[in-house]
Amino acid sequence: MTDPVVAIEGLSIDYVVGAGRFRAVSDVSLEVERGHVVGIVGETGCGKSTLAQAIPRLLPEPPATIGGGRILFQGVDLVKVPLWKMPAIRGTGINMIFQEPLNSLNPAFRIYDQVAEAVHIRKVREEGRSSVARAAPGPFDYSRRPNPKPSDVWSGKVVPGGAVEEAVHRKQVDRESGVSRTELREDVLDYLRLVRINDPETILNLYPHELSGGMRQRIMIAMALSEKPSLLIADEPTSALDVTIQAQVLTLMKELIEEVNTSILFISHDLGVIAETADELGVMYAGKLVEFGPIAEVFKSPKHPYTKALLRAAPTRYKSDGPLLSIAGNVPNLSRPPPGCRFHPRCPIARPVCRVDPAPPLALIDGAAPPHRSACHFASEVEAIP
Amino acid sequence: MGRSPTDLAIFIGKRLVQLVPVLLGIIVLTFVFTHLSVANCSIWYPHASASTLANCQAQFSKPILVQFWTYFVNLLHGNWGASVTGVQVYPAIADGLPATLELVFASLFLMIVIGIPLGVVAAQFAGRWGDHLVRIFYLTGWATPTYLGAVIAAIFLAPYFGLPSHGEYTYTPPPFHQWTHMSLLDALLAGNLPWAADALRHLILPAAVLAFINMGIATRMTRSSMLEVIPLDFVKSARMKGLSEFFVMYKHALRNSLITTTTVLGVTAGGLLAGTVVIEEVFGWPGIGAYAFTAIGGGGAAPNFDGAVAVVAVFAVGVVIANLIADILYGILDPRVEWR
Amino acid sequence: MASTPAAPGSSRGGARAALRQAGSGALTFWRVLRANPLTMVGFIVVAMIGITAVLVIVAPHVLTPYGPDQLTTDYNQGPSWHHPAGTDGNGIDIYSETLYALPLDLAIAFAIAGAAMLGGGVLGLIAGFWDRPGTIGGAVSIVILRITDIFLAFPSLILALAIAVSLGRGVWQLIVAILITWWPFYVRLVRGETLAVKHLPYVMAARAAGVTERRIVLRHILRNVLEPVVVYFTLDIGTVLVTLSTIGFVGLGLAYPSQAEWGSMMSYYQNAGLITAAPWTVLGPGVAIFVTVLAFSLLGDGLRDILDPRSRRVLAGTGTGAIAAAAPSESASGGAGPAPAAAAEVSSPA
Repeated sequence: MTDPVVAIEGLSIDYVVGAGRFRAVSDVSLEVERGHVVGIVGETGCGKSTLAQAIPRLLPEPPATIGGGRILFQGVDLVKVPLWKMPAIRGTGINMIFQEPLNSLNPAFRIYDQVAEAVHIRKVREEGRSSVARAAPGPFDYSRRPNPKPSDVWSGKVVPGGAVEEAVHRKQVDRESGVSRTELREDVLDYLRLVRINDPETILNLYPHELSGGMRQRIMIAMALSEKPSLLIADEPTSALDVTIQAQVLTLMKELIEEVNTSILFISHDLGVIAETADELGVMYAGKLVEFGPIAEVFKSPKHPYTKALLRAAPTRYKSDGPLLSIAGNVPNLSRPPPGCRFHPRCPIARPVCRVDPAPPLALIDGAAPPHRSACHFASEVEAIP
Repeated sequence: MGRSPTDLAIFIGKRLVQLVPVLLGIIVLTFVFTHLSVANCSIWYPHASASTLANCQAQFSKPILVQFWTYFVNLLHGNWGASVTGVQVYPAIADGLPATLELVFASLFLMIVIGIPLGVVAAQFAGRWGDHLVRIFYLTGWATPTYLGAVIAAIFLAPYFGLPSHGEYTYTPPPFHQWTHMSLLDALLAGNLPWAADALRHLILPAAVLAFINMGIATRMTRSSMLEVIPLDFVKSARMKGLSEFFVMYKHALRNSLITTTTVLGVTAGGLLAGTVVIEEVFGWPGIGAYAFTAIGGGGAAPNFDGAVAVVAVFAVGVVIANLIADILYGILDPRVEWR
Repeated sequence: MASTPAAPGSSRGGARAALRQAGSGALTFWRVLRANPLTMVGFIVVAMIGITAVLVIVAPHVLTPYGPDQLTTDYNQGPSWHHPAGTDGNGIDIYSETLYALPLDLAIAFAIAGAAMLGGGVLGLIAGFWDRPGTIGGAVSIVILRITDIFLAFPSLILALAIAVSLGRGVWQLIVAILITWWPFYVRLVRGETLAVKHLPYVMAARAAGVTERRIVLRHILRNVLEPVVVYFTLDIGTVLVTLSTIGFVGLGLAYPSQAEWGSMMSYYQNAGLITAAPWTVLGPGVAIFVTVLAFSLLGDGLRDILDPRSRRVLAGTGTGAIAAAAPSESASGGAGPAPAAAAEVSSPA
């Protein structure tokens, strides 16, 4: 097994509001292997966005606090990193694309300026002229690199390269003169072509509000990838697009996953979208990760009643032969979660022990070679649920 | 795309044209309001000679329409009238205007340089002690009447900091040609650094008081628009690029929140101009604020009606132009807005 | 969070329910105040000022050791135990005079702000609601707007000063002078809010349901307009007070020894040269104005934050509202539900 790019161990995130604490994410553990796409799926309010934004410590820390656990990114526990040091890790270490492309691009700046800013940050770090973070010279192949030390994160050597160079027409970098303006422009154009924008010269001087949603999302992806992050977090990147554009962007992302050696954490509420792109799947419910495993396994034989119900509820035919199956009951109020297993009020195979004992988080299911984990006492019985 | 330079020129032209009826209305209103009551010549000019009183009586006993017509015709001929003792209005205002502009610009500069970052800080610490401190600061300024602040500054702060509290220069007249009649600018243009330093020392206290009192609205507006902008996704994108928090706030977030902040530029200008009346009087600054103070009969002076009308009209025009500049800035800062 | 509903018709149940409503409203108000300490300070000080004003009118000797304009033989004394703010050249105790001026100043400020709010508010409502071009209302709206624009061009203090020159000194003259320059702000405020509310979906829904125009105005529009107007009014008391006393300071307001008002007091001291010779004279009226205006401003500024829906969540400090906003927003479209959308190839209704 290779080292995961990021390993989350027992992470809990609380919101401190007034006098009370409210636990949005409880005890979540998962890993993103290098080069893999991990999908996280769940209903609105299950904590997946909170989890996604907590990894690069993007959550506003006064109301939100990390209630426990570790986030190991290339050997560094991000929970222990002071907030003012996080900019060194963001951008070239972890990057993120968001849901609303109109809001994700700064409406006051032109496209060129925004993408160039990202490229510039990476170049400055690669050439060692950044006081914030330094990077190793030359393209960096993470797979051949020994384990980084914690101090490497900002003393410099953790900017990975990737396969982007093969896909991108790259000019020689002149180390002495640093970043030249024509070279910056060429890079920007290259990355825009990478996301399949034809004639990117025409959009350089435009503002975000002058472009379509699909175009904006591509630019967001270009901006994020131009910094060659080890981990790219995609927080519902296609949810705000209409279906045809959604298809285009998804196709683009699948192709990029082949070309670029970046690992992706893909958050969505849409099982279909995840099914197309992910290698592993994690299912979240009420702040807990209830199942995690290789996607084919999870789809074929889900080991948690919630996952099974979720899969069953997806409409698969045009004409239904009967009413749509839904899960009885409601999502619990997270300030007062049910005792024991959070899903037990709605679970068809609930037993008395479920009311008392929350299932151990993601117990390994024996025999599965890539680990398939489920947070259910009776994981083996899930197959039998109709 | 309604944002080319020609669009801007047409926009400015249209607004300037609209300025004319507003200006007319301003002149009419000011005249009417200052000539509301019957002539009280003996009360207004208790120490005047008999002939002056007779003149005053004759002038003010005419029906107001006649009075206005006379005034207006004179105005069209370029005669802005005179005080009861015959001092011409136009030269007085023309002499004092640059000094007031200098004071107003200096205050604006201080307001922007101090007030806006304070608003950003208040937004970053919303609800916590930083926010409270900033709020106390700008509300203190807001709650201080101009004269109170000016008097305290001139009498207590000036000696404490060793700053002068009167006039533009320590010695007058300055030994160089005054191109702009703005003390600091003239000294810098003449390359005379000691005098420039002197001018700065005279300028700083009145400008600081004026800025402190009027800063509230800029800080307040910056704070609330930053609070709206900070949760937006593009701020998170900027953070995720790896920019330090400073750049995220001051390059990305502030740039967008300034769009709404410029809308209060007009109100700010009004407050600043009104403040100059008292500040200039207390600090002996030779601008049109001090002129307004005496024209209105402040401090027991004899009222100068022509002067009052003129100076009030000038202030109003200043506010209108400030609003126009605010509109233009708004169009420049927000690329989604067209100039129509 | 369902409270036990009282039967609607029963009077006793209704009264008790109303009292409970008021009680829980007050409790929420108190909780909100506690979350914003500065606003609470403002509220308390404003309450104290109100109580003081009432006391000065009703039972002056409780707070003031000397009568109004009472001459003593302690000329030009600095602050002391007998005279907390010192005395002036006539031996008048400044502290007592300042307190005597309090009700007058407050009354004038409330009168001006209140009249401006009512007059300007009505005009703003008309200009905002009945503004369709081509109708009588539309024409009236345009006239109101143009006049308001011209008035808004004047810095209010300066125009008020100019009017005060011609009107002369006196309480009513002072009120009229400031009122003339003050009403346009309310027109603009109310018009803006009316325009914003007019196009809200639920107003259109009410209209479609056949609700009469008058009822729409009274119930929906006014209720939404009321919040920002109340906030502005509270802040305005402070601003009017400052303007009022500045006019007094310039020498155009009330005449001091006969009518006690903070601005006129300061003008009197300035003219008598007392401010340089006896700096403590600034203390009495100066501190009084500063504290009063600061209190109203704290209250108004804090109210604005509390009532503003955007910052309301961060600062109101009450339960679920804050949670909902503090957590990053989940996808708005296609949100909850156990039925995830089908794969992209299948065309589904939007």
